[in-house]
Amino acid sequence: MRMNKPAAALAVAAMMTLAACGGGSSDTGSDEPGDDATFQEGGNAGAFKDESREAPAPVPDDAAEGGTLTVMTAVAPSTLDPTQAYYTDSTAILSDLVTRSLTQYAYNEETNDMQLIPDMATDLGRPNEDNTEWTFTLRDGLKYEDGTDVTAEDVAYAIKRSFAIAELPDGPTYQTTFFLDGDKYKGPFSDKGEYAGVTTDGNDITIKMRRPFSDMDYYASFPAFTAIPEAKDNPETYGQHPLATGPYKFADYKAGSSLTLVKNDQWDPNTDPGRIQMVDGWDFKFAQDTAKLENVIINDNGSAQTTLTYDNVSAASYRQIQAEKERLVTGTQPCTFMWYIDMTKVKDIKVRQAIGYAYPYEDAWKAGGDIVGVTRVPGTSILPPGTAGRKEYDALGIGGVNTDPEKSKELLKEAGAEGYEIKFLFSSDDEQAVAAKDAIVKGLEAGGFKATPIASTVETIRTDRTDYNSPINVRSSGWCSDWPSGGSWFPAQWSGDLVGLEGMPNPANFKEKKFDDEQNRILDELSPEDATKAWGDFDQSMEEEVYPAVVTGYGGVAMIHGSKVGGMANDNVRGMPTFSRMYITQ
Amino acid sequence: MFGYIVRRIISGVLVLLVVSVAVFALFFYGPADPALAYCPETRCTPTRLENIRHSLGLDQPVAEQYGTYMKNIVTGGEFELGAIGIDCPAPCLGVSFKLRVPVTEYLADRFKATLSIALGGAAIFLTVGLTMGILAARRRGTLADKGIVGVSLFINAIPYYLLALLGWLFLISQWGIFPESGYYGPIEEGPVAWVKGMLLAWVILGLAYSTAYARFSRGSMIESLNEDYVRTARAKGLSERRVTMRHAMRAAIVPVVTIFGLDFAFLLAGTIFTERIFDIQGIGLSALDAINGKDLPIISATVLIAALFIVVMNIIVDVIYSVIDPRVRLT
Amino acid sequence: MGISPTELSQQDVPAEPEVVKQEIAGRSPVQIALGRLRSDKIAVACVVIVVFFILIAVFAPLLTRLFGVELRAGSPSEDLDQFNFPLIGPPDHGFTWEAPLGLAPNTGHDNLADWLYGARTSLTIATVSTLLATLIGVSIGLLAGFSRGWMDKVINFIIDVFLSLPFLLVALALAPIIVSRFGNSPDALKFWQFTALLLVLTLFGWMTLARLVRGEVLSLREREFVQAARVIGVPTRRILFKELLPNLIAPIIVSISLGLPAFVAAEAGLAYLGIGVVGIPSWGQTIDNAVPFFNTYPLYLYAPLVGVFLLVVALNLLGDAVRDAFDPKTRR
Repeated sequence: MRMNKPAAALAVAAMMTLAACGGGSSDTGSDEPGDDATFQEGGNAGAFKDESREAPAPVPDDAAEGGTLTVMTAVAPSTLDPTQAYYTDSTAILSDLVTRSLTQYAYNEETNDMQLIPDMATDLGRPNEDNTEWTFTLRDGLKYEDGTDVTAEDVAYAIKRSFAIAELPDGPTYQTTFFLDGDKYKGPFSDKGEYAGVTTDGNDITIKMRRPFSDMDYYASFPAFTAIPEAKDNPETYGQHPLATGPYKFADYKAGSSLTLVKNDQWDPNTDPGRIQMVDGWDFKFAQDTAKLENVIINDNGSAQTTLTYDNVSAASYRQIQAEKERLVTGTQPCTFMWYIDMTKVKDIKVRQAIGYAYPYEDAWKAGGDIVGVTRVPGTSILPPGTAGRKEYDALGIGGVNTDPEKSKELLKEAGAEGYEIKFLFSSDDEQAVAAKDAIVKGLEAGGFKATPIASTVETIRTDRTDYNSPINVRSSGWCSDWPSGGSWFPAQWSGDLVGLEGMPNPANFKEKKFDDEQNRILDELSPEDATKAWGDFDQSMEEEVYPAVVTGYGGVAMIHGSKVGGMANDNVRGMPTFSRMYITQ
Repeated sequence: MFGYIVRRIISGVLVLLVVSVAVFALFFYGPADPALAYCPETRCTPTRLENIRHSLGLDQPVAEQYGTYMKNIVTGGEFELGAIGIDCPAPCLGVSFKLRVPVTEYLADRFKATLSIALGGAAIFLTVGLTMGILAARRRGTLADKGIVGVSLFINAIPYYLLALLGWLFLISQWGIFPESGYYGPIEEGPVAWVKGMLLAWVILGLAYSTAYARFSRGSMIESLNEDYVRTARAKGLSERRVTMRHAMRAAIVPVVTIFGLDFAFLLAGTIFTERIFDIQGIGLSALDAINGKDLPIISATVLIAALFIVVMNIIVDVIYSVIDPRVRLT
Repeated sequence: MGISPTELSQQDVPAEPEVVKQEIAGRSPVQIALGRLRSDKIAVACVVIVVFFILIAVFAPLLTRLFGVELRAGSPSEDLDQFNFPLIGPPDHGFTWEAPLGLAPNTGHDNLADWLYGARTSLTIATVSTLLATLIGVSIGLLAGFSRGWMDKVINFIIDVFLSLPFLLVALALAPIIVSRFGNSPDALKFWQFTALLLVLTLFGWMTLARLVRGEVLSLREREFVQAARVIGVPTRRILFKELLPNLIAPIIVSISLGLPAFVAAEAGLAYLGIGVVGIPSWGQTIDNAVPFFNTYPLYLYAPLVGVFLLVVALNLLGDAVRDAFDPKTRR
């Protein structure tokens, strides 16, 4: 899943490709060391699934019936078509409130975590022996907002629809990698033939794979795995009003400015173990001014009491809302920000490590508007907190935050590379990005480097960054979990096979035989459990032996809400509010 | 007079043509590749980009693109985005790259908010401005006159966006004296919600603009009060009220009409600051969003529409001019 | 908000400059106006304020050193607390000479240094674009007024086109285009951001003056002294600059003095909307950054706000006074 685009995040790490992370997570605001221990030891991804969750979902005691929750945000979802939804805001709105999928995430109050639970399916799917065939069974009594029945064929159609990347771009694309004929089938619009990868039998939907796919249950939680009646589908307009299967339906949607949801009376709580339907409706206001929306929520007058935002609170307001902790929701996102060092250009490990020592972590974060420890959490491992198998290590011994310019100079001297020139991109049209750039230049120069920032714009920086011919030798970007283990991290960004591919999927141009061999060994030879742990070791040895990336912290979440908003917690799979269980307090 | 109007319309159309060519050339030759805005974040391969350019018609020569654009305004058109067509009825100003809706339809919807601002604001600044101006003129030299002139000079000197910003910050956000601003359809959501959402925007806009009208109407009122025909009217024994309202004002209002016409046209073209600060989803804010999102069809359309308003308003003003001022004869 | 540096409408400008009276007094219109200005208390106060700002702008580097502050020298990790608020000075720690106006949140940059340099940015942009716009306006106005026939028509048409363009919109759309077309090297970027702003402001600031000058020239060229010059074979260029231009001094000065505040305000307004010089201290930029802090750190917002406010009000009132001084008819 991709992060939605708050201005600050855009500036620092425009490209994030994050998806469902089933792993547990630590709440940065919480001081219960208990939850952290499990996942940092390696954990078991399966522990975060709860197949037995029963419908209906319990309604909290302090919940009042009725009222409207208002959601204000500075950004706007790029699409509300279930197939295209990949940014966290689109997926949270759709999955939590409007369109149900085969599986879903639900908040667990005891662990402060999201858990994978069944949704339209009766369970989390039944794989065959080698994970090449998955079967899901639909519940009885599922209906669309217009009262018609949801059928297995509709789900099968939705799955086929997700292959129509030409007509419906931007969505997740794992189906093309893992599903049968995924590389050939082009979706129901341009490909009128049959697709053999999905079959239905009564309430059963069976998906056939072309290679083992053990994480299908997680993937089935994406809005793309909802039900779409073929007869009512027009790919160009469906996103204007996707047919609701969840507790709320579209009443009015103005792309880029507002979305009004009202109760869907066809939704039956007895078929849904994860959602409640206490408020009468939801009012989403997009593209709002940040200062304005924060002021409204903080002042907490009248309708502001039932207003919330999913944007990270700005430094201007964080201190004010600090006094009222119960109106501030903090947590993590399974994302790591990095400075990828171009291995083909910066060949000496001493120079690479010197960059890590010289990088002005705190200065750059603060200048960029991040609140350290809240919206940006220092760290040293590439795998972010919450990923199963993650290992805590510190390659440079500076805790991911203590800049050491002397050490940097020393290393440069040893390498005979004093005054080494670092070229990096920044968005010249974003004041905060410019401020962060200034801080980085200052830091690098203090560490004995020559810093040459190269101007780009918010609009073009991602294209510029993925240009192999660009003169830059470090790339600022990031990555977010797709699956609960390192298997979604290293093969996706750190495999030598990716070097030279379109779009620069391997931003560090990292191609080391030893590490490629190790990756293949983990993928081919180890059991899923052993692999989980092996990725943590891989993470550590790669950073300690090669240091191809400076970890510049993990993504944090700090959202504020009015005093009568109930049930709002951080959905740490997405870094969004847990819409599905929210209500207005009595 | 008829001939005059025809000539004015022809020259107006010419102006609009030149504006459209300029806008088209400027934006479409601009380096911001509009296709990029339409390309997904992670998988924008050159082939994909090429396909998008093709489906948007951006790979055609500019002259041809311009021709299509003009043709679509008159006859409407069909747009192919991906595998799906969007019907764009005349007057078609293109289809938004980002929102995938016909621009005309989109802007027409947003126009309601802008029209609301303009109407309410104009009502306030005309009433306040003219009243103050005439009052000051009739009491020329008194304390009241000096007060009005001084205050209006002062308010006029404050940059408008600061006035609006401070107004919003304090009167709405901090002290809550005015209700939350925003656009609510007077029919859909009721006139009360409409007025409440617009109130401070109207007041601030009205206040800022009224200063110019006060000074203007004062000036021209003083001038016409000194005219011979006013003296004649007085000599005939007409009441002072009748002299002011019937005789002097009629002449004094002429220059006011001129600036009002232009001001109103600019307001209709989009009150960017007002809309941005008071969060009113009108044409100005659409334009701002479109500029940030490089949504060229919307940018071009807003510029063209603005020019249209200004040109049309200019013609209307000149015609009204001749109607209210018998001294002006159009030839 | 459009830029209309010349608020002179036709009836504000004397169609017949009072040449006759002046000849008797033996003083030029400029002298008369200066005399009137000197006795105008508000005008004098405004001059003082404006001169104050000009001095700040000119001596900004010296003043920053004098106060012992430094431009853009903040170190967020050392100067800011966990909430990204400054550790010294306002809003929490009272006045300190180390940072008389406090430090900016997030970056830790010194506000006073930014403010002083901001004055410089504002005044430079306003002055340069006013002068450029005046130059263009006067030249085009002279050209249109003196050439009869198609040339006049074409120029008029061009003015019509420019007047019918919505300034803000075009400025917003145009500036990024100029920047990305020319600013592809880091060194060129700052220059072109600055230039783009100047160009945009200039491009939309000349039309009213051009119209005005044209109108003046139209009436002047029928006057005896111009006719006479023609008859004795004075070349056109000489007539334009030696005979006509001196008679246009009054409207030009008025236009400049009303143009300056309009441009200062426009620069700040554009910066607020997100175009302008990023990375160079500017009041508009600071205001944009400071608005979210208006109740937690008001000084951060008020310093640039007061700067813009004072300068624009003073320039505007001065401009009004200048206009009144040149045109006794509109005197208060």
